[in-house]
Amino acid sequence: MATIACKEFTDRLDSWMGGDLPSDAQAHLRNCRNCRSLIEDLKAICTEASSWRAEEIEVPLRIWASLQSHLEQEGLIHENRPADAAKTIWFGGWLAALPRPALAGAYLTLLIAGAFALSRPINKQTNEARWLAASEDSTLPLRAQLTAEQDSFASFNNANPAVAASLNKNLAIVDNYIALCEKSVQEEPQNEVARDYLYEAYQQKADLLAQMTERGENNR
Amino acid sequence: MARTRRTDTDELPEAEAIRLAQQGNAPAFERLYRLHNRRVYSLCLRMVGNTAEAEDLTQEAFLQLFRKIATFRGESAFSTWLHRLAVNVVLMKLRKKSGTETSLDEMTEPDEESGGPRRDFGTPDLRLSGSIDRVNLQRAVEQLPPGYKAVFVLHDVQGYEHNEIAEIMQCSIGNSKSQLHKARMRLRELLHEAMRDKAREDRKAASAESGSED
Repeated sequence: MATIACKEFTDRLDSWMGGDLPSDAQAHLRNCRNCRSLIEDLKAICTEASSWRAEEIEVPLRIWASLQSHLEQEGLIHENRPADAAKTIWFGGWLAALPRPALAGAYLTLLIAGAFALSRPINKQTNEARWLAASEDSTLPLRAQLTAEQDSFASFNNANPAVAASLNKNLAIVDNYIALCEKSVQEEPQNEVARDYLYEAYQQKADLLAQMTERGENNR
Repeated sequence: MARTRRTDTDELPEAEAIRLAQQGNAPAFERLYRLHNRRVYSLCLRMVGNTAEAEDLTQEAFLQLFRKIATFRGESAFSTWLHRLAVNVVLMKLRKKSGTETSLDEMTEPDEESGGPRRDFGTPDLRLSGSIDRVNLQRAVEQLPPGYKAVFVLHDVQGYEHNEIAEIMQCSIGNSKSQLHKARMRLRELLHEAMRDKAREDRKAASAESGSED
C-alpha cells in the first residue's frame, strides 16, 4: 500500500480535519510512532479544551450595572419605559380577565396613562412642574371616568349591601394608598421607587375593580 | 414590590428584544445581555485569561453592540454579529498590549522565526495524553498569537463550526481550518516545552535534595 512521509502527513493534516484519514495516511500512521504520538496529542488538547465548555462560569453582576450606567449616560436607553411587548402581554391578560369591555377600556386607559406618566424617560432638563401638570391633566378625566364606572358598579351591587360595603371599604383603602403615592411622586418626581409604588397602586385599584365587577355580574 | 414588567420582558424572544432595543427600550437591552453574556464573557476570559480584563472586554463588546444595534438588519445571526464584535474587541486589546499594529493575517500566521508553528514531527518520549490539565493548557493558550487564540477558543472551547467562525472572523472556511490546525500544533509545542521545563526542574530539585542528604 502507498504511504507518505512525515512531512507530507503533517502538511496535509489540516485538510483531513474532522473527517477520516485517507488510506495512504492511515498506512503511514501504522508505521510511524512519531505521527501516532502527534495525533494522540492533538486529540488530548481538543478533549481538554472541549471540557471547558461544560464549566459553569459566573458572569460578575457588576458588568451589567456598569454597562447600564454607560448606556444611560450615552442616552441609548430609556430606563423606566416598560417594554411594548411586556405591555402587550400584561394588557392582553387584563382584556381576558375583565368582563365588561367598556369598564375594561376605562381601566386600560387609566393604566396606560399611569404607565405613560410614570415611565417617561428621566431627562435632567425635564421641567418638573410641567411634568406634574401633564401627569395630572392626563389622569384627572380618567379618574372621573373610573368614578362613573364605580357608581355603575354600585347600582348593580345593591342586591348585596354587605358585600358592596366590604368591597367599597377595600377600594377606599386603595384610593388612600394611591393618594399617598401620588403625594410622594409630586414631592420627588424623579424618585424611581415612588413612581414604581404609584404604578403598582394603580394596578391594585384596577385589580380590585375587576374583582368587584365580576362579583356584581355574578349577583345579577 | 413585584416587578411584573421585568418578568414579562425576561420571556421576550430574541427577535422581539432586538426590535425593542432598537427603540431604546431598557429591559430589551437587558434581555439581550442576559441571553448572550455568558458566552461573550467566557470567550473574553479564555482569550485573555484574566477576569478583570475579561469583564472590561465583555462590557466593551456589549457597549459597541448596543451603540450599533439600530443598524442591525439581520443579514447574519445576531449571536454571530455579537461574537464578531467581541472577537474584534479582544483582538484590538491584544494588539494594543503587544504594542504593534498588525493585520489579522500577521496575527494568525506569524513567520516561523517569530514564534509560528515549527515543523515538529513528534517527540515520542513525551506524550501529552494524561498530562494536560486546565492550568497548563490555559497557560499555553495565553501564549498563542491572537488570531490562533481566537479560532482555537471559538472552535475547540466554545464549539463553533468552521462556517460560523469564518463569518465571525470574516475569513474563508479553509482559512479557519488552517488556523485551527496551526493553533493546535503550536499548543502542542508549548505544552511539550512546559513538560520538558518541568522535568528539568524536577531533576534539579531531586539532585539538590540528594546533594543535601550527602
